[in-house]
Amino acid sequence: MPEESLLGERYPELGRQLMSVGLTDLLVAVPSFNNEATIERTVQAIEESYQRNFVRDRVVILNLDAGSTDRTTEIVLNMNGRRSGGQRGIMSLRTVHCVTTQYAKVPSQSEALQLILTSADLLEAKACAVVSATTTNVDANWIANLLRPAYKQEFQFVAPLYTRGKYQGLLARTLLYPMSRAVFGCRIREMYSDEWGFSRQLALDCESQNVWKNEEIRARPEAWMAITAMASGYKCCQSFMGPKVAPSGPAPDLVEAIRQTVGNLFWCLEKFESFWVGRSGSDAITTFGSEHDLIEEEPPANSEKIFDLFRSGVEELESILASILTPETHARIKEIAALDAAKFRFGPALWVRTLYEFAAAYHRGVMARNHVIQALVPLYRGQLYSFLLEQANSSPDEIEADTESLCREFENQKPYLVEQWKAKS
Amino acid sequence: MAPQDGNLWYKDAVIYQLHVRTFCDSDGNGSGDFRGLTNKLDYLKELGVNALWLLPFYPSPLRDDGYDIADYTSVNPSYGTIEDFKTFLDAAHSRGIRVITEVVVNHTSDQHPWFQESRSSRDNPKRDWYVWSDTDTRYQGVRIIFVDTEMSNWAWDPISKSYYWHRFFSHQPDLNFDNPAVREAVWDVMRFWLDMGVDGFRLDAVPYLVERDGTSCENLPETHGVIRELRQRLDQHYPGKMLLAEANQWPADVRAYFGEGDEFHMAFHFPLMPRMFMAVKLEDRKPIIEILEQTPQIPENCQWCIFLRNHDELTLEMVTDIERDYMYDSFANDKAMRINLGIRRRLAPMMENDRRRIELLNGLLLSMPGTPIIYYGDEIGMGDNIYLGDRNGVRTPMQWNGGWNAGFSSSDPERLYSPLISNPVYGYQAVNVDSQRRSEHSLLSWTKSVIRTRNSSKVFSRGSIEFLNPLNHRVLAYVRQLGEEKVLVVNNLASSAQAVELNLQAYKGYIPIEMFGRNLFPRIGDLPYLLTLGPYQFYWFRLRRI
Repeated sequence: MPEESLLGERYPELGRQLMSVGLTDLLVAVPSFNNEATIERTVQAIEESYQRNFVRDRVVILNLDAGSTDRTTEIVLNMNGRRSGGQRGIMSLRTVHCVTTQYAKVPSQSEALQLILTSADLLEAKACAVVSATTTNVDANWIANLLRPAYKQEFQFVAPLYTRGKYQGLLARTLLYPMSRAVFGCRIREMYSDEWGFSRQLALDCESQNVWKNEEIRARPEAWMAITAMASGYKCCQSFMGPKVAPSGPAPDLVEAIRQTVGNLFWCLEKFESFWVGRSGSDAITTFGSEHDLIEEEPPANSEKIFDLFRSGVEELESILASILTPETHARIKEIAALDAAKFRFGPALWVRTLYEFAAAYHRGVMARNHVIQALVPLYRGQLYSFLLEQANSSPDEIEADTESLCREFENQKPYLVEQWKAKS
Repeated sequence: MAPQDGNLWYKDAVIYQLHVRTFCDSDGNGSGDFRGLTNKLDYLKELGVNALWLLPFYPSPLRDDGYDIADYTSVNPSYGTIEDFKTFLDAAHSRGIRVITEVVVNHTSDQHPWFQESRSSRDNPKRDWYVWSDTDTRYQGVRIIFVDTEMSNWAWDPISKSYYWHRFFSHQPDLNFDNPAVREAVWDVMRFWLDMGVDGFRLDAVPYLVERDGTSCENLPETHGVIRELRQRLDQHYPGKMLLAEANQWPADVRAYFGEGDEFHMAFHFPLMPRMFMAVKLEDRKPIIEILEQTPQIPENCQWCIFLRNHDELTLEMVTDIERDYMYDSFANDKAMRINLGIRRRLAPMMENDRRRIELLNGLLLSMPGTPIIYYGDEIGMGDNIYLGDRNGVRTPMQWNGGWNAGFSSSDPERLYSPLISNPVYGYQAVNVDSQRRSEHSLLSWTKSVIRTRNSSKVFSRGSIEFLNPLNHRVLAYVRQLGEEKVLVVNNLASSAQAVELNLQAYKGYIPIEMFGRNLFPRIGDLPYLLTLGPYQFYWFRLRRI
């Protein structure tokens, strides 16, 4: 049976709209879901960037909505109506197309990305970017920073860099960045991000891969895309965006965040095993703008509670941790869990060893993979608490130096990961 | 009083612009003349145009191609005599062709007797006919128009030892319209030609007639007062005659020159012209739609004049910096192609002699709202010579045939007022009227056909326009409507074939009849109307409910 055509059969209306738009130089996609408060600003930022930075280029904005029940879609459509007949001298030379469609009934980043890549393929877009409709401060420079390296400078993947508060993005700082850097050998700091850019070539490569039904990339397909770029030998770079303001509301659930990101990372380890197993060290990549920008901020309240959750987790998950970790590592963790909170230190060597053993356990399938990932949550809390204690009085430069030191620990211990990875269950 | 319909002839006109000097030389002196032009009226009739706009043909030192007039009521002897002009005028009228001449009233040549008197002494009665000053600091900040040649709007006169005001070249002093005697003299000039039978005037450099301290000296209310006075006299004594404004401004600013239908009958739509070129180069309808959406409504008895190319540079004053850069990069990458804020090239070379693009641009010109003007030679695809200096490269002799001097003149070639275009692509051996007359498929034959089609209906000259906005931005589609008559125009601005779905629900049940071949297309139904167009192809469909 012939394979289903995504734009021909599943999304014919989108296909029809895109065919009318025709060949395009640049595509910026905005997946949305109930973003009525932010969508207008985001789309305006893209338009402004097109008008300011890409006046001669053929451009399109692609809004993929996951079935918003608020006014998100209506706002985008209304903006379309207002676009024609702009003020003298402030519009780009060409028509700025904005195509909007509903792609799903529940948000799925991977489904959205697949549709973005297919659209980019149809339009033969030379460079693309994805921006989040939840970010409240996207501006025109962001768009240019994400598009330009792929459009004008032959980079295939463009990761963002943000100004971070001292205690912001710690999952990336203490786990995702150092581990992905050590494993894949490429120093992309924000591989898990809602904004990124990519070239036509990478889009075509990714589109053709049979990964789209995998649950592991459903929420975070961007890291898979970045790793695909690295594994394919494509040029990657980073572009500095400035501060990123998340929408107000409750903080994202840590368990879900780890399930999405670490789960995805471990899955990528498996998928790209042949690429990373023989590699050592890491390479710096081109960075446009500041490489890191940390600003002081108040420490989170109730850090003791974090330690309590670590300690209780180690106790409650003892049998699960025993299946995942080596006896030495497990014993060491139990040891530190018994320490007085004020004297607690996780220590980089133990943290790296723990993660590598978790990755190997995930690979060996010692239990349901979701359970492996979830068992990591209390241990990450321990690492988090350790960070809060250690860095309470550190300057941004000192924190950066410690991050670099942690990265090197991950790189130094990589042979241990390989050894564990290859060990028979 | 509402004008009678016949008085609105200018709305239905297809105007052909030429300089007598460039068209046909009857006496072998190397310069075109009125007798030569008269001999060629049948050609113009055959082409289908019904009005001629003649560039200045008055006695002049010719330091600005005749826009430096030294005598308003004579004919430059090189072009003939007043009698020759009268003969030409009668011959044109007998063929149903109206004649529009130039009145350059903002300034004269410094050789004009009025200026000679004015400068002769500070006590001369004509001293106040021009704008004099003891300093060159008055009207500071007023922009200089000819930025490539002029440093100031003031020039020092060594005879009367004072400065005179000039918005254009320094040898073109501005008349002082605050002086009633000047206004009377200008009206006398107009009367002179109106009495002879001229059908209308193009008034050159209209926005600059009056100067005031602390202003840009452009578009001043006092300038509008001067125009209204002239118009009132014209309507009173010469009904049916027409005034055309040259005001290179944004449409919203030009709008004021129509007044309440009591100033100019017509005005050039300058910003539309570069945007037609831009739209085709960009393959995007946006520049055209954008400028027409910014174009205000004008009184019922008024009309825009639209054009592709003319005797001047393709002016880029009414575009943004970004647009100007794009136009230069696209059409004038050789610096020699640029002059002032514009491009000194003809239509065909700008289109790289691509017949399809030339036809598309002419199709746009003839189907959009306004009275179209065709620049002499563009109907056969004449080339230019960017190395002739100033804008002379687009003012070379008309190419009638492949023989001696292109059939323009029997003089020695060295005596011609300008070298002929002689390169292998655009030269007169390759591009000329006679050879194109012999082919049904030549650009000339096509131009005749498209003008004939336009003239078959007043919907193009007087109808409303409604843009359709199909998703495919490479397609520019609109419906022209006058009463019950409707014409659908669909243009592919792209170099590649395009498909477009048009929402024609409002015309459900109508049959589109392609106007050039009179072919019937499928009846419009419930679904979006699908059309495919080849590169740069366009359709004109008469919509009929049969």
